[in-house]
Amino acid sequence: MMTVKLQIVIAAAILVVFAVLINMIRRKSLELKYALSWMLVLTALFVFACAPWLLNVVSEFLGIYAPVNMIFFLGFCFSLLIIFTLTVALSRLSNSVRTLDQIVALNEKKLEELEQALEEEKAKNQNHIADNEQE
Amino acid sequence: MKKIVIIPAYNESGSLLQAVKDIEEHAPGFDYLVVNDCSTDGTLELCRKEKLNYVNLSVNLGIGGAVQTGYLYAYQNGYDVAVQFDGDGQHDARYLEQMAEELERTSSDMVIGSRFIEKEGFQSSGLRRVGIRYFSLLIRLLTGKRVTDPTSGMRMVNRDVMGIYAESYPKDYPEPESVVAILRLGKKVTEVPVVMRERQGGVSSIHGFKTIYYMIKVTLAICMERLRG
Repeated sequence: MMTVKLQIVIAAAILVVFAVLINMIRRKSLELKYALSWMLVLTALFVFACAPWLLNVVSEFLGIYAPVNMIFFLGFCFSLLIIFTLTVALSRLSNSVRTLDQIVALNEKKLEELEQALEEEKAKNQNHIADNEQE
Repeated sequence: MKKIVIIPAYNESGSLLQAVKDIEEHAPGFDYLVVNDCSTDGTLELCRKEKLNYVNLSVNLGIGGAVQTGYLYAYQNGYDVAVQFDGDGQHDARYLEQMAEELERTSSDMVIGSRFIEKEGFQSSGLRRVGIRYFSLLIRLLTGKRVTDPTSGMRMVNRDVMGIYAESYPKDYPEPESVVAILRLGKKVTEVPVVMRERQGGVSSIHGFKTIYYMIKVTLAICMERLRG
């Protein structure tokens, strides 16, 4: 089982990671939406670090022989879940980029056409003024 | 009838001008639009210099996104007919008028230029042909419709389908999937025989391991389309 020393080290590490996470959210380099799941897993880890006997209770409840196996298994499931969420987010993002790219391209074209029309109009007006002056 | 040719261009500065000239000469009833898909070979500069009618994508979207930009443009600018046309010299603009006539005559929603009706001209390489046959068979099994050349990039659509494609169009290897998408909606697809040339510039995007990805992806995409119906 875990020694008290190890428990303290793990708990401290988790707290540090938590602080980093919060700081990143504060500086807006991490979206709160995606940070929530990490906060959840950190909280769970913290609880288990403080009360290791809970691991035995949960693994017994799930019918898993060794608590360590349960940690690996749950950790793996959780990672898969996060990766999957990321793929979904990525799909959505690439669709948005596509739409934006297309809108920008079409708008750019419109702008160019307008600029050109404006140029022509200006040139026409100038000619007009020149004509008038000659008269 | 306002008609437009959509030319998706990714690094095709070598053959693009030829394609545009071909259209101006042999399909005078058509406007055209070059969609520069963030080329790295100076296609954009060429478009500017030659004063082509073009739009420029700032992020590379791949063939699906580029073609969709064309449909979006066509739809927004009130075109009645839009046709895809490759800028690499494979397609021949002389067939465009013919395809437009067929579209109107049969009141179809899409007309595909097929290499495999008269079996003339460049027929693609052996293995590729097997792949195309397979897609054709798959489409027939799933929709009951006969499409001899589902991978043809030469396809003309009416305003109705243009709107559908402007809304949603597959990202990569879009041809077979997008045909099934409109078949599912009960649109009418017909084919006319065309002769295609071997590409004059650029290389096929499908080779090596991509072939396997291509086959699996398109098969799944077609099946998914069917599930939506």
